[in-house]
Amino acid sequence: MSASAVTSMVHVVFWLVPGLERRHQMVSVKRQMVVNDTAFDVDVGLDDTLLRVIREKIGLTGTKEACGRGECGACTVLVDGVARLSCMTLCALVTGKVTTIEGVARERPDICAAFADHGGFQCGFCTSGQIVSVAALLQESLPGDPAAAEHVVRDRLSGNICRCTGYGGIVASVLALAGGDR
Amino acid sequence: MTGTLGRHVRPIDWQQRTSGAARYTADLFIAESLTVRVVRSPHAYAAVRSIDTAKAATMPGVHAIITIADFPPGARYIHEGARDRPPLAEGMVRYVGQEIAAVAAETAEQAAAAADAVVVSYDRKRGPLTIAAAQGAWSAALHKRTNGKNISKSLHRSWGEPLQGSSDGVSVDGRFVFSRQTHASMEPNSIIAQWDAEQGCLHLWVSTQAPIFVRDEVAQILGLAKEQVVCHEVFVGGGFGSKSRISEHEVIAAALALKVKRPVRLVLDRNEEFETTKSRHAFHMELALHADASGHMRAITGRFQVDNGAYDHSGMSVTSAGMKGLGLIYRPRSIRLDAQLIDTATLPGGQFRGYGTTQVTFALESLMDELAGRLERDPIDLRLQNANRDGEETLIGARPRTVRLADCLIAARDAIGWDKLRNTRPAGHGVGIASGVHLSGSYAERDDANRSDAAIDMLTNGKVRLRFGGADTGTGQRTMLAQIVAGELGLALDDVDVMTMDTALTPFDLGAWSSRGTHYSGHAARLVAKTATKKLESLAQGRVLPIGDLVALSNEAVDGMLTVEASFVETAVQRPDPKTGLGNVSASYNFAAHAAHVKVDTRTGKVELIDYVAVHDVGTPLNPAAVHGQIVGGAAMGIGAALGEDLVFEQGKLVTTGYTYYALPRAADIPSIRSFIVNCADPLGPYGAKGVGELGINPPPPAIANAVADAIGVRIRELPITPDKIVTALARKEGRNRHFNIWRRPDRWWIAFVRWAYPLGLFRLLHAWRTHQPSRSVPPEIEELAAPASLDEALSSLDRGAVPMGGGTDLLLRRSQMLSTATRLVSLAGIADLSQIAIAEDGAVTIGSAVSLSRLCAPSATHPAVAAAAQSIASHQIRNMATIAGNLLQANRCWFYRNGFECYQRVGAKAPCYAILGDHRFYHAAIDGHRCQAVTPSDMATALTALDATIHIRGRHGTRTLPIRALYTGPGQTVLQDGEVIAAITLPAAARTRVGAFRKLNLWHGDFAIGSVAITCRIDEAGCWHDPRIVCGALAPVPWRAVETEKALAGRKVTAALLRAALDEELNAKAHPLARNAWKLDALAGLCEQAVEEINEKVGR
Ligand code: FES
Ligand code: FES
Repeated sequence: MSASAVTSMVHVVFWLVPGLERRHQMVSVKRQMVVNDTAFDVDVGLDDTLLRVIREKIGLTGTKEACGRGECGACTVLVDGVARLSCMTLCALVTGKVTTIEGVARERPDICAAFADHGGFQCGFCTSGQIVSVAALLQESLPGDPAAAEHVVRDRLSGNICRCTGYGGIVASVLALAGGDR
Repeated sequence: MTGTLGRHVRPIDWQQRTSGAARYTADLFIAESLTVRVVRSPHAYAAVRSIDTAKAATMPGVHAIITIADFPPGARYIHEGARDRPPLAEGMVRYVGQEIAAVAAETAEQAAAAADAVVVSYDRKRGPLTIAAAQGAWSAALHKRTNGKNISKSLHRSWGEPLQGSSDGVSVDGRFVFSRQTHASMEPNSIIAQWDAEQGCLHLWVSTQAPIFVRDEVAQILGLAKEQVVCHEVFVGGGFGSKSRISEHEVIAAALALKVKRPVRLVLDRNEEFETTKSRHAFHMELALHADASGHMRAITGRFQVDNGAYDHSGMSVTSAGMKGLGLIYRPRSIRLDAQLIDTATLPGGQFRGYGTTQVTFALESLMDELAGRLERDPIDLRLQNANRDGEETLIGARPRTVRLADCLIAARDAIGWDKLRNTRPAGHGVGIASGVHLSGSYAERDDANRSDAAIDMLTNGKVRLRFGGADTGTGQRTMLAQIVAGELGLALDDVDVMTMDTALTPFDLGAWSSRGTHYSGHAARLVAKTATKKLESLAQGRVLPIGDLVALSNEAVDGMLTVEASFVETAVQRPDPKTGLGNVSASYNFAAHAAHVKVDTRTGKVELIDYVAVHDVGTPLNPAAVHGQIVGGAAMGIGAALGEDLVFEQGKLVTTGYTYYALPRAADIPSIRSFIVNCADPLGPYGAKGVGELGINPPPPAIANAVADAIGVRIRELPITPDKIVTALARKEGRNRHFNIWRRPDRWWIAFVRWAYPLGLFRLLHAWRTHQPSRSVPPEIEELAAPASLDEALSSLDRGAVPMGGGTDLLLRRSQMLSTATRLVSLAGIADLSQIAIAEDGAVTIGSAVSLSRLCAPSATHPAVAAAAQSIASHQIRNMATIAGNLLQANRCWFYRNGFECYQRVGAKAPCYAILGDHRFYHAAIDGHRCQAVTPSDMATALTALDATIHIRGRHGTRTLPIRALYTGPGQTVLQDGEVIAAITLPAAARTRVGAFRKLNLWHGDFAIGSVAITCRIDEAGCWHDPRIVCGALAPVPWRAVETEKALAGRKVTAALLRAALDEELNAKAHPLARNAWKLDALAGLCEQAVEEINEKVGR
């Protein structure tokens, strides 16, 4: 989809006729969503979170729900390259391009492989969110000093809870990836 | 060892687990599925008079509602034979969250709406909510018990020689509390159940560690044959013990599937996860160690009270396992222990990694340090002297073949730099050590718990598949099994597939618990692979042929597949004697020593881990990376228990129902844990390996407690070691006291009177007669959502109850917490004009209200103090979404208010403030608290107040500009009227000339402030401070300025000591803390001192 098409969507405005009786019928709008560079036409309820639409309407189940309220990072996706929590994002308000774990894994298989090599995951339930966050982090350059780099990595990944690994393997994965470009 | 065994390999499922392709239960969307919502008890203890489902049953989308009446009479879970727990409440509810009924409906919203409409009438009773209350003379008896009121079980253990009087020895003792920890697995408990009427078969996809237990209990309760219940393979997102037995949702979903004849789906939400996952049992332990003068341990004696919660779940075996743990690490000559399992009307305790040994290890290893202190011995030397050795039968009948505890201790000592740290540690630093032990699969519960089977299918294409009945919850067990099979058969790892969990297709195994995976499944896989090798050799008859060709030669192959099976039975183990507990319950025992180097901030009580070393004796590691993963993951959980994790209850209801309120470690809270493996083949282990899954969690609490004691000279005996405990202990040690002289402050008399009256009956009155909120678990639907492009447009749509929304991170949360019923939302985040940061010629900075916190993190963007505050807030993702105005305007974060307590702030005057008597140590006011004790949570407000920021407000009827101190009227409450929004925030030009520092104390990286401090001033050439601003956040209902202190410091060269003296005086004159939060004054004063030091450092003084 072209960039201009995306910007034209920015002004899809959801002015709805007030006072409509909508007791048992969710108000929904037709949207075109660009997810992992593919356009999807979806019916989006005003209550629908981006997470719900990705998982249940588009059928990409790699993005996980672990808390559903912004506490854990399992649902992290990129919107125009910026990491966001899809569980706390109303889908109807999303105008940018969405990239989920499925897209990140395709574009950055090296991150997935690094996680496999360095013990970056165990159960894997937080992993989608971790890898998406790492992809966003690696767009920036890390300090050259390893201790300073670790500090930045740990701070940046503190919004992604992992209950299995104790984070050591995740941090090691990122440092190994970043080390490659240094 | 053969093949890849002993080497690092990528997990065989790495591509699935890292690409989003792995399917966990909730990822399976089966056509025609209904969604289930459970109706739960809001009361801790009540008789259920009636359950009226009539209205709910007729609601749209509803297909069925079940109650206990839908089960056969007397249906109970078996568990340890306790049989005290029905599948849905029967007559009584005994804890908040207990399942009463369940609804299956077309959509999640319809199920929730119908669940809300189920009318349950209760006869509320006063239940025993704590161990102490349960034993009170007047307390109600929760169950009919034969051991005494509210005593589920008693256990006495006496091992070794009779106790002798020890005139020449030394004894140390103490009372220790290990509080409740919850697993908080990232994958919520989930199940999909489908009844196949034709085959008479109930299919389950369920997130579990032990499919066979789920199958057996579901079959038992629903009156089906075991073969009629089939668990299928799914990915499982962590368990840590919580999924090693059945919970409640499995049977509920199964019963509904049978009733509606359609697939049903039940995924717990995070509230339910916290509220109903059976937590680690809290242990209250009195323990004593007795040693002779040379340090030889003579005896361990103790008395434990275990909080069983409302039902028996595994309390007895947890307690007994803990007791045995005391007989495995060292070599006492005698052990005498008594324990009672106390019934309380709270969430039942359950299985948790470490299983009782975690709790007792905390007490034992803390006392070992005290013993070393009494004997003036080095703590490691004393441990080495007493460490268990191999080849000896221990007091408890265990016969470990390999014990490398001493090696672990020595390696930990060297790795942490023990001697150097002990001799030359800087002030506030400390180092601590602790040992630990665990089993490799306990021969407990059932006669077949020493058995594990496996099967191998060999295909003509040369691939093989191992079938195994356990479940890999993330431990890497599938990879280890594949390594074994590949190694034995000489195959590449890629040629081996592993199928698990499926109770119809895989042979017998009891699942992943008691660290049994390595030993039992390792042997089973080894055995079946050897059987396969033999079979292939007999087919090959000396020829060298690929496996596929050999399978093709076999006349036993069916459809091109040759199958072999094997059953492993461990004969070296014994079931423990029920009377004495004696017996060698495990084939091998794994040992560990951990060392912690901490830095304690004595001003704020914050413990920082500088370095952490974990050394484990795991036999021969089969997959070293996976072993390190288990060690480090376990240690991180143990560190969580040591420093923050705690389930807090009030009136029996869980307060800490979410990750936000539960201080489990985030990435920045811990250092890289350094793990080491002491390699030593155990003769009984598969290829010499021992179990490893649980032990990592045991040593951290005592290792850290010992390090903290080393650092500050005070021992904390009650977990978790949070800043309040340290600050309070230090104040006591140093004899510091604050006096607030409330009697001289008439403006506080009324509040003081109310607080006095609360425990005397006022609270109970308000609690009993409070206004009730209509029960509701989903917010009203959003009816209108506007994304205007300009502020004017936005203002024109802010009518009829429409509310403005910034990033949505608080508003959407408040909707889900039933704190906002707004259905018309106006998003301001996309308005370009509000997203600018503009710098005027004079240097004044105007920040648009929709500027994200991320953009403010750069020190050059506005002011370094603002940047520091922004950087301290929540997480990277939240900072990307949240706006500055949203941060300023967020509602208060009181954990009672937010988490469903019908409190004054939520439902109005006819309700109590739960913070007055509840846990208010962290997030409540110590100054100026009134009817509500909450604080304004915004860290931005703290920083902006210290910079004299002004707030520009726009409404349909005009604009107004306020100094930020005039914005707030109460905790998270502002002067903003309906239809008004913040348009911008301006830092005056003078802010540029201010040097400033922002400091914050919290429980985890990104948590809301326990206290935050912003100090700014102008400093002249001579180094004198002018016009200082000292602002404390989270200390009072609104950002609190220490105006007297500001006056006292103006014009002076300010040092930390100078500030502290003035501030203490002001705090004592103005504070009115609650019973347990006066420590916050010390901590905030400490933060202020640090801010002063930071400022002086910045200007080079
Ligand atoms: S699921 Fe979105 S933050 Fe937890
Ligand atoms: S790998 Fe299990 S939660 Fe992170």
